[in-house]
Amino acid sequence: MATKNHYAFVIDVARCIDCRACLVACSVENNVPMDHTRIWVYDQGLQGTWPDLSRAFVPYNCMHCDNPPCTEVCVSGATYKDATSGLVLVDQEACIGCGYCVAACPYGARYIDQSRGVVDKCTACVQRLEVGLQPACVATCVGKSRLFGDLNDPTSEASLALKNAMSVTRLDYEGNGMDADPNIFYLNLPDTSSIKASDTFGQVPQSTLPRPSQYTLSEAGWKKVAIPLVAVAMGATFLAQAIFFTKQLIEGEKDFED
Amino acid sequence: MPKTDVSQLSRRSFLKLGAATASALAVGQFIAPPVARAARQAHLLDSNGSGYISTMCEMCVWRCGVRAKVVEEKVVKLEGNPDHPHSKGKLCARGQSGLMTTYDPDRVLTPLIRVGKRGEGKFRQASWDEALDLVAEQMLSIKSKYGPEAMVFSSTHNLSQPLFENLLYGFGSPNYGTQRSLCFNAMIVANSITYGMEEPARDYSQVKYIILTGRNLTEAISTSETSDLIDSISGGAKVVYIDPRFTKTASKATEWLPIRPGTDLAFHLAMINVIIAEKLYDAAFVDKYTLGFDQVASLTMSTTPEWAATLTGIEAGTIRRIAEEFGAAGKYALAHNGWRTSNFINSFPTERAISILNAVVGNWGTTMFPSSGEGAGVLGSPPQPAYPRISAQRLDGVPWMYPFVPLKIGVFQQLRDSIVAGTPYEPHGWFISRQNPVQSLPDRQKTLEAFQKMDLIVTMDILVNDTDWFSDVVLPEASYLERYDPLVPMGNQVYIRQPVIEPQGEAKSALWVYKELGTRLGLADFFQYKDEVDYINQQLAPTGIPLETLRLHGNATLPTSTGSDIYEWSTPSGKVELFSSLLEKAKFDPVPIWTDPPQPKAGEFYLLTGKVGQHTQFGTQNNQLLHKYQDVPRLWMAPEAAKSLGLSDWDTVQVTSPVGTVQVALQVTDAMRTDCVYLTPGFGHLSMALRTAYGVGASDSVLHVTYTDPISGGQALSQTFVSVKKA
Ligand code: SF4
Ligand code: SF4
Ligand code: SF4
Repeated sequence: MATKNHYAFVIDVARCIDCRACLVACSVENNVPMDHTRIWVYDQGLQGTWPDLSRAFVPYNCMHCDNPPCTEVCVSGATYKDATSGLVLVDQEACIGCGYCVAACPYGARYIDQSRGVVDKCTACVQRLEVGLQPACVATCVGKSRLFGDLNDPTSEASLALKNAMSVTRLDYEGNGMDADPNIFYLNLPDTSSIKASDTFGQVPQSTLPRPSQYTLSEAGWKKVAIPLVAVAMGATFLAQAIFFTKQLIEGEKDFED
Repeated sequence: MPKTDVSQLSRRSFLKLGAATASALAVGQFIAPPVARAARQAHLLDSNGSGYISTMCEMCVWRCGVRAKVVEEKVVKLEGNPDHPHSKGKLCARGQSGLMTTYDPDRVLTPLIRVGKRGEGKFRQASWDEALDLVAEQMLSIKSKYGPEAMVFSSTHNLSQPLFENLLYGFGSPNYGTQRSLCFNAMIVANSITYGMEEPARDYSQVKYIILTGRNLTEAISTSETSDLIDSISGGAKVVYIDPRFTKTASKATEWLPIRPGTDLAFHLAMINVIIAEKLYDAAFVDKYTLGFDQVASLTMSTTPEWAATLTGIEAGTIRRIAEEFGAAGKYALAHNGWRTSNFINSFPTERAISILNAVVGNWGTTMFPSSGEGAGVLGSPPQPAYPRISAQRLDGVPWMYPFVPLKIGVFQQLRDSIVAGTPYEPHGWFISRQNPVQSLPDRQKTLEAFQKMDLIVTMDILVNDTDWFSDVVLPEASYLERYDPLVPMGNQVYIRQPVIEPQGEAKSALWVYKELGTRLGLADFFQYKDEVDYINQQLAPTGIPLETLRLHGNATLPTSTGSDIYEWSTPSGKVELFSSLLEKAKFDPVPIWTDPPQPKAGEFYLLTGKVGQHTQFGTQNNQLLHKYQDVPRLWMAPEAAKSLGLSDWDTVQVTSPVGTVQVALQVTDAMRTDCVYLTPGFGHLSMALRTAYGVGASDSVLHVTYTDPISGGQALSQTFVSVKKA
C-alpha cells in the first residue's frame, strides 16, 4: 500500500552493544507495564569455537509491515495501517482485546495489556514524531545502531543509510500465502546460517528479559532482500525483489513499494 | 511514632504482592504528584507545569547531561542533553531508568532510628531535629571521650564531596574512606607518576588502533566514550581486546585475546620490547618530552614476546604482530589504561607499562590529551576557616604505609582492617554517606565485624541499602532529580544539577544535611551559605554568569582561562616520566618489572568480576526498570570445567573462597577460560528493605580476599581463588 510517508527503522547490527537503553527508554516513554515490553534485543548467542568466537545482537520491535498479517485478522478494525505515515497502529478505544492479532504477528511484537484489556505494541512513538522528535529508542541508542526515518524522503537518515549500505537484510516472513514485507532494514547482519531452527526465546526466565516465547526463527526465516554488491545464490523471486528494491533506492523514488 | 518493620516483608510476600500490583504497573503509575516548584519559579515550565528542565544524571559517576521532561508537574521521561559532552543526546539504560530510582517504592522518606538489634532492620521514624540532634550529640560525645579521630567518615565520589570533607576535616578526623581503592587507584597513581595527572583524556576521533586491556567499554558504559568507540570501530579502527572473558566488547573487537589473569603486565612489557627493538617508537617525541627511555629499553630487553607467551598464554607471533601494528599506527594508536586493569597485586606496574606504551608511540595530542580535570577552577566558594590541625595517624595507612596514595583517595580496605584490628587506635563512630561498604569492600564478614565494634553508625542514602540496614540512624537524602548539588566545571563549561521535582517525603539535599549537622557540631563557619541556591550563587559570583542562564540551559561557558601548553606535565621533571625518580626514592621499582602473581591451586579457579551495562556497581539493582531488563545473575564457567565437576547449566552451585561461601546459579559458557569463573557483580543484597533486589544473585564481596597493592593501595579484585561444587 502506498502511503504518503514510508517510515522505517534501519538497524546496524554491528553497532548494537546490547546495552538495553532502548528497551528502558521505550518502557518509560510509553508507560509499558512492568511485565511486558514492546521492544527486544535478540541475542544470537556465542558462535564459533573457542577462542574464535562471535556474538551478535539484533534489536527488534514491531516491523510496521507493509503487508501486515495482524491487520488482516483484526475483527474490530482497531489494528490498521495508517494511510499517511505507513505505521501500523492500534486504536485502543476500538480494540476489544480478543488477541487475534497477537497470534497473527509472526514476530511476537504485540501483547495484551491485561490491566486495560487492550492490545499494545510499538507505535514508533507517534507522539514524539508529531513534535519532531525521533522515537525514544532511536534517540538514546548508545551504539547509534538504530536509525529511523521516511524512506519516501531520499534525504532522511534512514534513506541515506540504506543508499550507502553494502547489504541490507530484512527478517521477512512468508507463510499462509502472504509476505509481511517488514519495515526494519538490517545492516551488517552476520551470517545467520548458524542460527538453529529450534532457537527460541523460551528459556529466559520471565522475571528478566521479557521476550515473546512464540516467536521462532524457523518460522520467520532470515533472508536477504537487497544485496546489490554481494553476490549470493538466491531464488529468482528474491533476486527480482532485490533488484527492484535497489533500483528504488538508487532512483530515490517517492512511491517506494507500490 | 509509627514503627516501620521492614524485615517483616519477606521476598515471598513481596513477590505475591508484586504479581498483583508492583510488577504489573508501569512507571507512570508509580508517580506521586510532587511539584517542580523551583523550576516553575524559574519559568522553566509553562503554566500547566510542563516543559523540559536541564540537569545532570547521577545513575553512575559519568554525569551525563539530562533534559527531564515534565508534564503537569510530574517527571515523565529523561533525555540525553545534546549540548553535554558526556551524553551528546543519549543516556544509557541506567540513565533512562533514573526516574524509577527517584520514584522507587522503597525510598526512605523520613529519618529512621534503629529500635531492634543492629542488623535486624527494625527502625522507627523520626523527625530531622530528633535525628540530627541525636547524631550530633553522640559524635561530640565520641570526640570528647576518644578524640576526633575516633569518628570515621566515608563517602563515594560525588558533587557534594567538598562539604562532606568540611564535615570530617572540620570535625578534626583524618579518617576518610572513598571507594577508589576498590576501583582504579592503580590507574590514577600510575598516570600521576608518569604524566602528572590522574587520567589523561582519550580522543577517538582519529584513532586507528586500540588496545583495550580489561576495559569492557560496552558493558562498563560511559555514554560518550562508549559511543565514540563504536563510531571508531564502524569507521574501521582495529580493536584488540584483552580479557580472560569474552564480553560484549570482545564481540565488537577485531581480535580477542583470552589472556591468563594477572599477566597483562607481561603482555605490555613484550609490546614495549618489540617497539623499542624494532625502532617503531616516535624518537622525536621520546627525545624531547620523556625521561628514562634508556632505562626502559635496557629493562625490557629480555621481555620478548617469546618470554611473555609462556606467561600469558598468547602466542609470541601474535604479540609481535600486535606490537608491530600498534607501532605502525604510531600516534593514531591508543592503549586504554582501563579502570581496574588486571585487578592483581601487580596492577600498578601494569598501568605504568600501559602509560609508557602510549608515550613511546607519541600519541600525545592525537589520541591522548591532558584532562581538564574537575578542579573548582574559576568558580568561587563560600568563605571558610582553615581546618584544625590533625595529628592523629590515618587508619587507612596513608601515607605511613602507602606513601604514594593521594590523601583524598585513601585505602578503604585498610581502613576497615584497622577498625577490626583496633590498631593503631580504636575508632568508635562511622558516618557513611551514600556508600555501601557491605557490598563494595572485599571480605563482607570482616566489614560486618567492623560494624559491630562501632558505638555509632550513621548513614545517609535514598534507600535502606545493605549498609543502612546495619545503621543506627538513617538520614534520607533527596534523589538527584530532587535537589541541587554544587556546580561542576568541565573544560570551559560549567554544569548544574537542579531539582526537577520537589523532594518526596522529608528527603533533603546533602548541602542541607551537612550544613544542619555541621552547625550542631559547632562547625557553622564551614557552611557559610543560606541554602542550596545561595551556595551556587557564591560559586558563580566570580564568573558573572547569572544562575538563571545556567538553569535554563543546564550549562554555561566560563570566562576563558589562559590555555596552558599541552606539552607540559606536572611531574618532578616536567616531562613524561618513563623512569620515575619518585618511585626510586621510595625504594620501589622505578620502571615496571615483572614478578609472578599468585596462581590458583589445582581444582581452584580465578574469580573474575566485572560490570554489566544495566547496573552501576551494587547501587541500582532495586530499580524496577533495570530489574526488568537485566539478565539473571549467574556464575560463568567453561563447559570443560563444568563437565569435569559434573555440573550443568542452571545448576545451583556453591562457591567457596578462603573467606566465604555463596550459592548461585551456574551459566555454562564458552565465553570463559577453563581456569576462571566470573560472578555477575552487584547482586546478593542483604537488606530486606530492597524489595526488588533482595534475594537475587550472590555477592562477590563475600568471596573476595583482601589484597592491597603496596604502591597504589588498590584492592586486587581478581586475586581470589575459589572452588565450586554442586549445592
Ligand atoms: S510486526 Fe507484527 S504487529 Fe507489527 S505490523 Fe508486522 S505483523 Fe503487525
Ligand atoms: S540502545 Fe542501541 S546499542 Fe543499546 S541495545 Fe538498544 S539498539 Fe543496541
Ligand atoms: S553513563 Fe548512564 S548512568 Fe552514567 S551518567 Fe551517563 S546516562 Fe547516567
